[in-house]
Amino acid sequence: MNGVSVIGVGMIPFGKYPDTNIADLGWPAVKAAIRDAGIEGKRIQAVYSGTARGGAMVGQRIMGRIGLSGLPIVNVENACSSSSSALAQGVIAVGSGVYDIVLVIGVEKLTKFGGGTLPLDEEDWEVRLGLSMPALYAMRAQRYMHDYAVKPRQLAAVSVKNRKNGALNPDAQMRKEVSLDEVLGSRMIADPFTLLQCCPTGDGAAAIILASDAVARQLRSDPIRVRASHLTSGKFIAGFRDMTTPEITVRGAAETFEEAGLGPEDIDVAEVHDAFSIAELLYYEAFGFCPRGEGANLLESGATSLGGRIPINPSGGLLAKGHPVGATGAAQVVEIVRQLRGEAGPRQVEGAKVGLTHATGGGISGFDHGACSIHIFQR
Amino acid sequence: MGIMAVEAIKKTSATRLCDDAVSIGADGRAVLIGGMCRDCGNQTFPRAPVCCVCMSETIGEQPMPRIGTLYAFSTVHVAAKKWNKPMCIGYVDLPNGARVFTHLAGATLAIGDAVEPHIGIVGEDENGAIESFVFRKVGS
Repeated sequence: MNGVSVIGVGMIPFGKYPDTNIADLGWPAVKAAIRDAGIEGKRIQAVYSGTARGGAMVGQRIMGRIGLSGLPIVNVENACSSSSSALAQGVIAVGSGVYDIVLVIGVEKLTKFGGGTLPLDEEDWEVRLGLSMPALYAMRAQRYMHDYAVKPRQLAAVSVKNRKNGALNPDAQMRKEVSLDEVLGSRMIADPFTLLQCCPTGDGAAAIILASDAVARQLRSDPIRVRASHLTSGKFIAGFRDMTTPEITVRGAAETFEEAGLGPEDIDVAEVHDAFSIAELLYYEAFGFCPRGEGANLLESGATSLGGRIPINPSGGLLAKGHPVGATGAAQVVEIVRQLRGEAGPRQVEGAKVGLTHATGGGISGFDHGACSIHIFQR
Repeated sequence: MGIMAVEAIKKTSATRLCDDAVSIGADGRAVLIGGMCRDCGNQTFPRAPVCCVCMSETIGEQPMPRIGTLYAFSTVHVAAKKWNKPMCIGYVDLPNGARVFTHLAGATLAIGDAVEPHIGIVGEDENGAIESFVFRKVGS
């Protein structure tokens, strides 16, 4: 594999755009990434476009708007990992030498569903019986709290941290800090989750331009190298599963670190999939940022806050930046690239050289998650 | 229970949500019906048309053990309109290795409780009441 770098990123602020169609959500992010890369759009040789619920041919609809058509466009659906999976395909395509420059898009419009929990496929046995994403994560939280004697206020502290970060991010959907009492006092969604421990429903788009290392060096002095690009699926298990250990992420993290030749101690900043408060604690442990059962203590120590040892979700994460599901993976990369370039303003992680992104999801029976894609970047 | 016991189970109409995954046994109690692979013996709930271990398509109906252990549960307040709310849902582990996603009932549930299936109403849609298996604490 040849080396692959990120030469441009762009996104629209996540939020609610009920009157904007998905093509018009997407193209401004693409245009921003092209501008950021400083290239002509026609240098893009292929497009990998991720959306979970956007419908058919979303990549074509977006690219048609800006007159960049007649090239290979691949539409990727992998639930919450849709655009991170699209990124993995783009990295393979450039790394293999087939293309020099490709575009990755993540886009989603969830307001079209009119609110409520994320619609899941009723053909699935557990979904048909009433399973939803908040319910699934809530059961993980209940078991984790039972096994490790964690209190509701310790879970709620995740939302307080990430909303504080989101207040510093102009691209975040939720830009107001919240107190622990406000989090715990918001209405109950699925015990132990109150509303402010659940990612908001929203719309958004993000885009990434990849180039071979050789081409990237010609185009800019500060390309961000892709150190590892990993995609895996969950393992189907019909029986017992330890819901406090996200197997797909534990395995994915180990394989990603091996590919990069790095370990958790080498990561300066990370964007992880905090769809609900419990998730961030589980992922601290899955990535080895702390031992099992120590997630709440790591958070309380301040290590994962801005200014701490390993700031997690400086963008505000899914809880504050928002979670237009198919756009999330690409938007995480936008944040990490900005962090590694030193462009993150008041939420800048000082001296960050190595960053990690992690998007996982897909609620289907027998899997802890359907998909998980992890990337490591280095300046 | 062995294969013979299956024949003693009388099908009930009170299973609209979960089709043939639950029946009423000769003793009048609810019994979950899963699958057992005739080739490798793997047992699952619900029954699938193909074995996830050996790809055999010879999957017989298999009554599941009645009593399981509550692994995790949550009381859910926001869900699709059709469900009675709040609704309590959880995972129950059966001694044959199967894990069952289920509705739950009862005021004093705790992780680790021994629970068993009943038939209950869990919601309502345009076709009327939605019935499913509902696990309750044993003896409650």
